[in-house]
Amino acid sequence: MRRAAKNTLRFLRRFWRGLREWCGDAAYESYLRSQGTQSGSGRTLTPAEFYVEQLNRRYSRPSRCC
Amino acid sequence: MKRVFFIVVWLGVALLGAGAFGKIAFDRGEPLNATWFVVAAVCCYLVAYRLYSAFVAAKVLALDDTRATPSERHDDGRDFVPTNKWVLFGHHFAAIAGPGPLVGPTLAAQFGYLPGTLWLIAGAAFAGCVQDFVILFCSIRRDGKSLGQMAREEVSERGGFIAQLAVLAIMTILLAVVGLVVVNALKSSPWATFTLAMTIPIALLLGLYLRFVRPGRVLEASVMGVALVLFVVVAGQWVADSQSWSRVFTLRGVALAFAIIVYGFAASALPVWLLLAPRDYLSAFIKAGAIFTLAAGILFVRPQVLMPPLTRFIDGTGPVFAGKIFPFCFITIACGAISGFHSLISSGTTPKMILRESHARFIGYGAMLLESFVGVMAMVAACAMPPGIYFAINSPPSIVGGAGDAAATTISGWGYPLRAQTMSDLAHRVGELTLWNRAGGAPSLAVGMAQIFSSTIGGERLLSIWYHFAIMFEALFILTVLDAGTRVGRFMVQDLGGRVWKPLGRTGGMPGILLSSAIIVALWGYFLYQGVVDPLGGINSLWPLFGISNQLLAAVALVVATTILMKMGRLRWIWVTLLPMAWLVVITMTASYQKIFDANPRIGFLAYANALAAQIASGKIPAEKIAETQRLIFNQRLDAAVTGVLAAMILVLIVEALAQWYSILSRRKEPELHESPYVATRWAADFSGAAHGDD
Repeated sequence: MRRAAKNTLRFLRRFWRGLREWCGDAAYESYLRSQGTQSGSGRTLTPAEFYVEQLNRRYSRPSRCC
Repeated sequence: MKRVFFIVVWLGVALLGAGAFGKIAFDRGEPLNATWFVVAAVCCYLVAYRLYSAFVAAKVLALDDTRATPSERHDDGRDFVPTNKWVLFGHHFAAIAGPGPLVGPTLAAQFGYLPGTLWLIAGAAFAGCVQDFVILFCSIRRDGKSLGQMAREEVSERGGFIAQLAVLAIMTILLAVVGLVVVNALKSSPWATFTLAMTIPIALLLGLYLRFVRPGRVLEASVMGVALVLFVVVAGQWVADSQSWSRVFTLRGVALAFAIIVYGFAASALPVWLLLAPRDYLSAFIKAGAIFTLAAGILFVRPQVLMPPLTRFIDGTGPVFAGKIFPFCFITIACGAISGFHSLISSGTTPKMILRESHARFIGYGAMLLESFVGVMAMVAACAMPPGIYFAINSPPSIVGGAGDAAATTISGWGYPLRAQTMSDLAHRVGELTLWNRAGGAPSLAVGMAQIFSSTIGGERLLSIWYHFAIMFEALFILTVLDAGTRVGRFMVQDLGGRVWKPLGRTGGMPGILLSSAIIVALWGYFLYQGVVDPLGGINSLWPLFGISNQLLAAVALVVATTILMKMGRLRWIWVTLLPMAWLVVITMTASYQKIFDANPRIGFLAYANALAAQIASGKIPAEKIAETQRLIFNQRLDAAVTGVLAAMILVLIVEALAQWYSILSRRKEPELHESPYVATRWAADFSGAAHGDD
């Protein structure tokens, strides 16, 4: 019983994380964790800067299909 | 023992699928239950995924998980982000699933349920999924390069240029036709127009919240946005019931077309965070929710399919659009079976986020199977209503003789009994003024979806709410395609135009942004306007044109894929991409020829233009209508020219590819592959994504 509850909790945690990644909610956290940022080769963007920069990039190429 | 069990299970799935297919194809008795469609489709998808995609992955592409993918080598947290395969599957599916697989099958239902269903399933398994999968693989091996770049490097310079032009052409036609679908869905419907109009201030509100209050907190903003959108769906009823407000939101086709054109321009020129992105978030959540609800609804309600397997319109005299099953069923289904546009996504964001090469099979092949399933569900929803109602909603007035008793008599004469009163009652029940002549697929799909949803939750009482929810869902994500497409089109115009006049190419400068936005909006806006004023119903001419351009782009992608396989030395397996490519070339060339030269004015653009010119010459057109008729003649000739140019582009590309193939096969030239060099992965086999820090 306890094991089932633990598994369910783990599944829900993973689902929540997946949902946040899917919708872009966790994009800034991924950015901070990325090798490019970790290497410290450039200035780390603030959440607001990153958000706008990421949107500009995403919507300058085909991102939604027919 | 395990092997025997495996064989028995898969044999069972295959036999179940074959049995369900047999039932769909050969049953001619009582109306079929929709469950047969679901079983046939799911079993075929399982077998195709387990066997065919595994064969393509192992033998044709030889996927290599020891090789580092672009997301590992260039991990920058921006473009190149190592992403869990389930999350990336969701991303990829959200990007490829647009209105096409909903609208195409709904329109193709005029041939009956059988041809469309067969092509949706077989076309996806052997063509659409293969295209998405192979192009994704090719792009992964080239650091996420786009289709145009790959065409330039692997086929020829000219090939790349043609691919770029083809993308711009398909974008223009696509935006016009999806705009037309929205116009026909909102025409004379204050409830639907109000609901959709309100999504704009809601998106602006979310945009400001995400930019200034809680930057990047997409989930919480989307929850608020979805709640507000659901509220305005209900509030639309109050607007429709109010005499004064209902007048404000009751718009005719031309007014709606101009409103959409202005919206497209604003979305392209305004900062992306303000309107476009928040709308996209809303659309993504509502799209996912509505698609899963529809699937659950079909399984729960198990509606009867009332449309016959084949209708009398297989002879090409269909009221929704003219043309025989071959090639028009394939052209019309388009995205539900194979979509050229997907190759842009498969060579865009997805290859830069994929963790391992083997995930390309699940994401590329699997997501397209799911899209095909969406198409099958749309087919079921359209065919679950009485055929008379389906034809009443989707036929233009010039074909059925307007609305009311005359139209009901025409449709009944085709063998699909209908009373005018039935249509009035249905319109009243869904909260519309009328449902006659609403070609475009969206209203009939919304009626089908509303009937399925209301049978699950709320019953008859909620039918009108569900209908307007379905219309809002379709229109919302169509407009998302429209605004995102307009913006991408703007960049393309700037890229091409910047070579001629430098200031146009400056993506940061306001004059360049405004001018290029105006150019792309004028391009698709013209075709949209033309569709709205077309007496035959614009869908008759614009949807086939969209289908042709979309399938041509798919042919371009498969030409590139075949060339790459040849260069990789996989000659033995090139039929995997060569056969679907040849099939697409045959159907698009036949459709292009018929759309230009067919003697039937409902099919051939030139025949229609000549028929109109003859009417002017014989004095049958009143003086005040002559200018309008001349404009129609010009439009038909323009459509013929556009179709001819699209067909010529693919012919040039094929000649280029044939020359390339000949030099490879005759060993005149050493095949030069432009793959990135092999780098071994440093990730452990069970690593499942950078964001999952604990993996």
